[in-house]
Amino acid sequence: MSINKDGAVQNARTDLAKRLNIDPADVKERSVEDSDFPDMSLGAAEDGEMSGQMITPGWRIRLEANGQTFEYRADKNQVRLYKYKGKNYRI
Amino acid sequence: MNRNNIFIHIALALVLILVAAFAGQLSRWRKQLKTNVRIVPAAEKKQPTSAEEIALSETRSFGRPEVLVKFKSGVSRATIESLTSRFNDRIEDNIENVAGLESIDDLDNADAGTVAAQYGAMPEVEYAEPNYDIELDEVDNPLVPILPHDPQFNDQWALANSGQRGGKQGADISATLAWAKTTGSEDVVVAVLDSGVDYTHEDLAGNMWVRPSEMDPYHDEELGTVDDLNGYNAIDGNSDPMDENGHGTHCAGIIGAEGENDLGIAGVNWKVQIMPLKFMNAGGFGTTKDAIEAINYVIDRKKAGVNVRIISASWGSTQKSRALEDVIRKAYENDILFVAAAGNASTNNDRSPHYPSSYDVPNVISVAALDRHDQLASFSNYGAKSVAIAAPGKEILSTWLGNQYEEKSGTSMATPVISGVAALILAENPRMSVDDLRKRMMDSTDPIVALKGKTVSGGRINAQKALK
Repeated sequence: MSINKDGAVQNARTDLAKRLNIDPADVKERSVEDSDFPDMSLGAAEDGEMSGQMITPGWRIRLEANGQTFEYRADKNQVRLYKYKGKNYRI
Repeated sequence: MNRNNIFIHIALALVLILVAAFAGQLSRWRKQLKTNVRIVPAAEKKQPTSAEEIALSETRSFGRPEVLVKFKSGVSRATIESLTSRFNDRIEDNIENVAGLESIDDLDNADAGTVAAQYGAMPEVEYAEPNYDIELDEVDNPLVPILPHDPQFNDQWALANSGQRGGKQGADISATLAWAKTTGSEDVVVAVLDSGVDYTHEDLAGNMWVRPSEMDPYHDEELGTVDDLNGYNAIDGNSDPMDENGHGTHCAGIIGAEGENDLGIAGVNWKVQIMPLKFMNAGGFGTTKDAIEAINYVIDRKKAGVNVRIISASWGSTQKSRALEDVIRKAYENDILFVAAAGNASTNNDRSPHYPSSYDVPNVISVAALDRHDQLASFSNYGAKSVAIAAPGKEILSTWLGNQYEEKSGTSMATPVISGVAALILAENPRMSVDDLRKRMMDSTDPIVALKGKTVSGGRINAQKALK
């Protein structure tokens, strides 16, 4: 199913709240911007993952919680958490 | 026999001798004509004089460009005049014996091939071609550019860059000259290891590989027998490699969208067999394990008798896998070239390797992307030691899901250009080894200033040179 920008932001907020074990209302939206990512895993490949090397348009979502900033990357097919504790996650 | 009869017989014999002598001379003349004749675009009569003119692409015309345009029956004279005046062209002559055939002058001095392609794309036109003069010459026949009538060919700058959309004229792979030698062969099979391929796409269907009826279906110890009639899906371990993303379909079209079929675009190969393999999902990503399974499938089919000589791999990551390297080496041992995208992180692969393109295996050829100005694309990875070659990879038009066509960018798009040229070479040299094939590719580039110190070859692939 295709994901839109609002849906991607919502998925990201829910995911971050769950990871940090906080109320979703405590997750602040810092910025959401259109972005071209270098590949089809949005430059955030998980371990053991290969992706098409095609420039992929999507959204860079920056959220703030517990005084820290977290970056999510999304396109119509997926939402990913970028470099969370040194690793990438597809949610 | 009386005296009159003798004179008649002598006269007849003399006539026969004269006829024979004249026929012999005619034959010699014809032979001479065949040896020396060369066909050149009429526009080429005036030769380039400046360095800039000489540097222009092979299809550039000098002097007055002319094209021959055959309008479809029923197209009125008024419509023809309206169309030509819209392009600031002039009808020079009407070929009376062929209804609708017009000789047209381009008053803007545009390239004859481009003008022909513009007319050829019109719904009112049956065909259009540059006007070729036939003249005697002492030299061997030069190659004449071959322009397909696929309606969107004029947007395929990678194959013939006439400067469309502000690009650099001649910054292309010289496909139109390569096609004068071969447009590909259905005996060559190219494995597109990707998100699958939309094998029903109208511009691809005729060039899709189908397992020969006499060949046994694929058998895997874990999966059992898979009826791989149309290829292989390593994600689900089944026989349906239908593309759910579009990426694999795009790559397949670059290699081998059917040429000269009056639809969409032309591939680097007009004729070829594309073996679709699916290991990436609808999102365009997949696992290393499934990539390995798919390469294993290719090797199995090669051993079973399929002439699959190239794997086109428009994917990768920065994670090294020894198992993936091993199976690619196994492909090398089976005489299969592995063409891989260099990556899109704008980084130096000599320092930060990208896999599988950075594996030091003899059949791997790593590909960087160029834009329509002959510049390294801003996103492209590079590497003086680790990235072999470059090809057009930005704003590339190709096939997409649902009989559509889309422009995409990435080393993903440059990779199938190289795979396609490799397939053209094999069409002409079916027994060439993978080592020789790779060497031929590396020796067949046009030096590009922007690539100096950025790739091993320092050049853009030239398909014409590759078919020397």
